[in-house]
Amino acid sequence: MIDLLVIGEGLSGLMAAYHAARAGLSVRVIGKGLGALHWDAGTIDLLGYLPGAHDSLRCPMKQLGLLDPAHPYHLLGEATLAAALAQFVALTAELGLPYSPAVVAGENSLLSSPLGAARPVFLAPAAQQGGDLGSSAPMVVVGFKGLRDFYPALIAENLNKLGYPARAAFLPYQLLSGRRDANTVHLAHELDAPARRAKLAAALKKLLEPGERIGLPAILGIDDHPAALVHLEQIVQAPIFEIPTLPPSVPGIRLVKSLRQHLLQLGVRVEAGMEAIGFETNGGNNIQWVETETSARPLKHRAKSYLLATGGILGGGFDSDHTGRVWEVVFDLPLTIPQQRSHWFRPQFLEATGQPVFRGGVPVNRRFQPVRPSGEPVYANLWAAGGTLAGADPIRERSLTGIAVATGFAAAQQIATSHALT
Amino acid sequence: MKHIETEILVIGGGATGTGVAWDAALRGFKTVLVEKRDLTHGTTGRYHGLLHSGGRYVVKDPQSARECIAENRILRRTHTHCLEETGGFFVVTPEDEGDFPDRFVAACAETGVPCNEITVAEALRREPLLNPRVSRVFEVPDGAADSFLATHATAQAARIAGAELFLYHEVVGLLVEGGEGECRVAGARVRDVANGEDVEIHAAMTISATGAWAGQLAKMAGIEVEIIPGKGTMVAMNHRLVNTVLNRCKMPADGDILVPIHTVSVIGTTDVRVTDPEHLRIEPWEVQFMLDEGDKLVPGLSKARVVRAWAGVRPLYQEGYTGASREATRQFTLLDHRERDGVAGLLTITGGKWTTFRLMAEKTVDKAVGHLGELKGCITANTPVPGVEQGFYWLGHRLHEVEAARLQGQLVCECELVTRSMLENAARNNPTVTLDDLRRDVRLGMGPCQGGFCTYRAVGILHEIGDQRSEIGAVDWNVAFLQSPAYNQDDEAGNRHLPLTIDNSPLAISSPNLLLRDFLQERWKGVTPILWGRQLKQERLDELIYLSLMNADHLPDDGGSSPLSEFYNFDTTPNENMDIPE
Repeated sequence: MIDLLVIGEGLSGLMAAYHAARAGLSVRVIGKGLGALHWDAGTIDLLGYLPGAHDSLRCPMKQLGLLDPAHPYHLLGEATLAAALAQFVALTAELGLPYSPAVVAGENSLLSSPLGAARPVFLAPAAQQGGDLGSSAPMVVVGFKGLRDFYPALIAENLNKLGYPARAAFLPYQLLSGRRDANTVHLAHELDAPARRAKLAAALKKLLEPGERIGLPAILGIDDHPAALVHLEQIVQAPIFEIPTLPPSVPGIRLVKSLRQHLLQLGVRVEAGMEAIGFETNGGNNIQWVETETSARPLKHRAKSYLLATGGILGGGFDSDHTGRVWEVVFDLPLTIPQQRSHWFRPQFLEATGQPVFRGGVPVNRRFQPVRPSGEPVYANLWAAGGTLAGADPIRERSLTGIAVATGFAAAQQIATSHALT
Repeated sequence: MKHIETEILVIGGGATGTGVAWDAALRGFKTVLVEKRDLTHGTTGRYHGLLHSGGRYVVKDPQSARECIAENRILRRTHTHCLEETGGFFVVTPEDEGDFPDRFVAACAETGVPCNEITVAEALRREPLLNPRVSRVFEVPDGAADSFLATHATAQAARIAGAELFLYHEVVGLLVEGGEGECRVAGARVRDVANGEDVEIHAAMTISATGAWAGQLAKMAGIEVEIIPGKGTMVAMNHRLVNTVLNRCKMPADGDILVPIHTVSVIGTTDVRVTDPEHLRIEPWEVQFMLDEGDKLVPGLSKARVVRAWAGVRPLYQEGYTGASREATRQFTLLDHRERDGVAGLLTITGGKWTTFRLMAEKTVDKAVGHLGELKGCITANTPVPGVEQGFYWLGHRLHEVEAARLQGQLVCECELVTRSMLENAARNNPTVTLDDLRRDVRLGMGPCQGGFCTYRAVGILHEIGDQRSEIGAVDWNVAFLQSPAYNQDDEAGNRHLPLTIDNSPLAISSPNLLLRDFLQERWKGVTPILWGRQLKQERLDELIYLSLMNADHLPDDGGSSPLSEFYNFDTTPNENMDIPE
């Protein structure tokens, strides 16, 4: 029997598996899908906006006191949060995919979104740091005619309206690929090839004006990304940075890939396509096994502890129906989401306070164990992390990846402690 | 102020109005049409897409049934490419027993609606998801109709015949001349809502084809026209659950038809009398009722993914009628306000159904001819609109064309298979004040992701082609092919191009952020009544894209509001009351 079964292979599940394995536990990760990193910008967003507020936060670590008392960051405490982020920075450096603050440690920096809006970001991968809008260096945002997921003229125009110097330029799509139909992942694979990069670099050099930095869609290699960036900058002789694209997210996929490889080296299997469909207890409050559906036959996974990291409504961890019922799909845990559809939405899609249905989740105690309304843990050997947690609307407040990194770390710590005690 | 002189002024750019303009222009009248928004923005663009065989009305409203089957046959010739030959079933579910089925068969024979009883086994072979407990099945020549494309094609035909169409031109007043006894309407004062300019249009005959808004329009001439606005709510399921139109074989009631159209199946409708034709709230009981009734036709339908809900308003009219809108007649009404109210120069055409729009137009123009003098008779029944050479629409046509021409890399909207060239051509040649206009043109954002991916792409593309839009008319392009990926492969293809008249709105080009916000809100409005399960998960992904990734709620404000921002902001979130009103 293994020590820990992690259910969900998004960022929170992978981070928890990493920390638990490092603490000496035997761990397996199962997942139905692939997690939200494949869709998001690939940055670590700690906290961009307080609920209902319009202006972005500059020093999110100092504003945590303003959050809902049930917010995961409150349960963590500032010290644990800081430790989790430091560990993440160290881990990504070790992976060769270093994340760090763009300018000042402890502050959000602003990076351009694919629309040219300013995204508040806490930790950025190396390739995105050069796009820091706090720097006054002018930008040339370069796109490729016909690439449907990146629009440099729109980005540059909005950046200008916001007061950031930027211009747009276009290169022919054929520089990137001969494929008739390519998405950003295909294009990133093309740029893993040094010859392809050299051609691109030569074209970039021609359109560059003195003093400019170059913003490109986030497609600069997948497997050979760190070398690709260095290679391009060497030839062009100017700073180059990536701006995220419409999904699929190449920066997110890079992080997932290297995390999974690293987990494999630590002896952790990460198995996709396994949907948890049932579980059994010992008759009391201990989970005995979790059952998954696979193409061949149902499998039973026995572990001493279980971590639920299925990601709420976005990740498929919660389901709902037209009667207004919302439920947690593996253990049917108590949820804080209103069980009435009339309480789910507000009239505006972009309402600053967010949609109430997306704010609720699995309530947990300070040990990250799902609890009943009475405060008692639902199961003695069950923990939860990431997007499943109550008390936050991570997409609205721009804390999705921050909560994943921090609560994955904290839950693994708690699980390791409980194993040390027994 | 601009002045325009015409013989016939048509108000309203729905099926009826464009039909009237087409007919009038073909008969040699100098014709102008004005529409306050985009073509089909009103009731025409909000209907379920059923091409009636007439079967639905054979028992209750035989005259409507006769008109439907006659027009059904005509439209198959004149608007072929806008129709899908799905066929239709009238099915007797365990709840529809009684003598209605026998009365139905007799009434079909009486009214000339072809009706063929088939075995339940045969029906199940053709529609495996049909309720196996049905006892009898009758086959009729129902079909599915694309009211967006059909209206565009009719409008194109009208332009070819010489009519001028002004979109986003709203009537702000009628030009009323004379007083007691000799009162006449001599045209209308119209506001270009995209640019804020007024135009005066002088006409010998003004025809109101404003549907549910006919009462408001008539009031401008001091005339009372009591429209019975019957709100119909429709729910689109995310799949073609059936490929044949399914009708319950009973008296027409709520939620008793399921129409397969394009990539979805639409279940409809409710019928609730409302006071405001503009802002239509969808009540939770309506959605629930539709799903419950849908389960009787296709068991398990309520568990399938729902993609959207919307409401249209029937412009029912019955002189002196005060009852429920469900019981009001579906026949159309032509009001000659000289005979009825002593006000010359104004006709109102209202009521009816999409299926009978051509007939309504014919009768209206016949009446105008009576007033304006001897001219040619109606020829619309034998005049195909542009595009019929494409043949009947079939579900796979876009996929087939994309694959044959290898256009996969061009897809801007993967759900509905919209290519970049389709989008660009529609944006260059049709008025594009909001992205919703492009949705009606090419089905942008109508699929499962409800604009999650294509909203951003469309805004980016419109922004890129912004400068080129001023060269409107430079490209030969045929609007009747606007939904064809193969036709729109490049800018060289096409036949004669006749652009719709709209002073090139600066809005779409210079306010990309407004376009984006408006369309996200427009899509949100139609999903809130049906968000749960998979579609709720989808919406959370759309939030991830537009908030977390795009930061679309913190874009610079580039244009305040569009002529439709307020319309999109209308609250359709579910309310407390789930109960069906008494």
